[in-house]
Amino acid sequence: MGFPISVRADGDPGLSYTAADRAYAWLREVDARFSPFRPDSEVSRLDRRELAPHEVSADLAEVLELCERYRVASDGAFQVRLPGRGLDPCAVVKGWSVQRAADLLAAAGVPAFCVNAGGDVVASGAPWRVGVRHPEQADKLCVVLEVADGAVATSARYERGDHIIDGRTGRPATDLLSLTVVAPSLTEADATATAAFAMGTDGIEWAAAREGCEVFAVDTRHRVFRTPGLPAAA
Amino acid sequence: MKRAIPIMILTVAGLIPLWRFEPTPETTSTANESTQSPSTSTDGNTQVVAGSTVTTRYGDVQVEVTFSGTEITSVRMLQQPDSGPTSKAVPELIEETLTAQSADVASVSGATTTSEAYVDSLQAAIDGRDQ
Repeated sequence: MGFPISVRADGDPGLSYTAADRAYAWLREVDARFSPFRPDSEVSRLDRRELAPHEVSADLAEVLELCERYRVASDGAFQVRLPGRGLDPCAVVKGWSVQRAADLLAAAGVPAFCVNAGGDVVASGAPWRVGVRHPEQADKLCVVLEVADGAVATSARYERGDHIIDGRTGRPATDLLSLTVVAPSLTEADATATAAFAMGTDGIEWAAAREGCEVFAVDTRHRVFRTPGLPAAA
Repeated sequence: MKRAIPIMILTVAGLIPLWRFEPTPETTSTANESTQSPSTSTDGNTQVVAGSTVTTRYGDVQVEVTFSGTEITSVRMLQQPDSGPTSKAVPELIEETLTAQSADVASVSGATTTSEAYVDSLQAAIDGRDQ
């Protein structure tokens, strides 16, 4: 999937390094098994029908089930298989796998940590100050959040251009500059942010109505919309 | 789930007039009912039909359905309850102006999906500082 991952941990450095090694090993395994860009991955083999649906691993079955759940919830804006393209569950795999990496750190006894995977954040054990990148100024923040136990994910157009496709129209989503979701898990935060961004302006309210989700969104007219419960730092 | 319930109520309320809708108004038998009869207007192949007004516990609901031939092309609400549970179904959003700030943070959330972008990002600066 190719994104940088950093782990910041409090407590015994030896314990943290061992736990982080295990988390990184899990993420490398995920890349090998679920990347649509690797011809030998489970996802690519399923897409080529070399694997029958009943032969998929429990992990892939869980990922595909999550994809289907978000497709239905977003009324089709969120799609794992866009017309003319291969199976691509990346949007769910990223949040799901990084959340599980964070669960490995917690299970290993790391008391407080903050994982950042390509701009998606899982915080645990302490109030961590998490900034949201300004959509137009890479060196600035547009809001600072305080997250003790939870996840923050941002979908935006500023980097790779129009890379999020609205599955309902097949066209790039262009209503918003960026949309950030704070949720109890990164699985929920990442998939909700991606689906909401694809839905455009309607996605702001859609994400805000989802259980446990707080939203911060910037539209192309530079208007900011946020939920009252957003954990913004003073 | 708590917040989803009012939306479902509105959806169900909105469906009632559709269920009650009869595509040929001449055959309607709603005269003796307390609801307002459907009205139609036809323009070539397009037919716009207003459904009966249905009184629900949250207020009156009436839909207008546009047909192209036999296909429904749009459905819009002519009347819908504007108070009570339905207004709570819309999540509250605060509108504010966009600010650009610098602050001491542990992590930065953003769509940093390529390693090229990461090199120039605030998060890379934070990771470098921590090491």
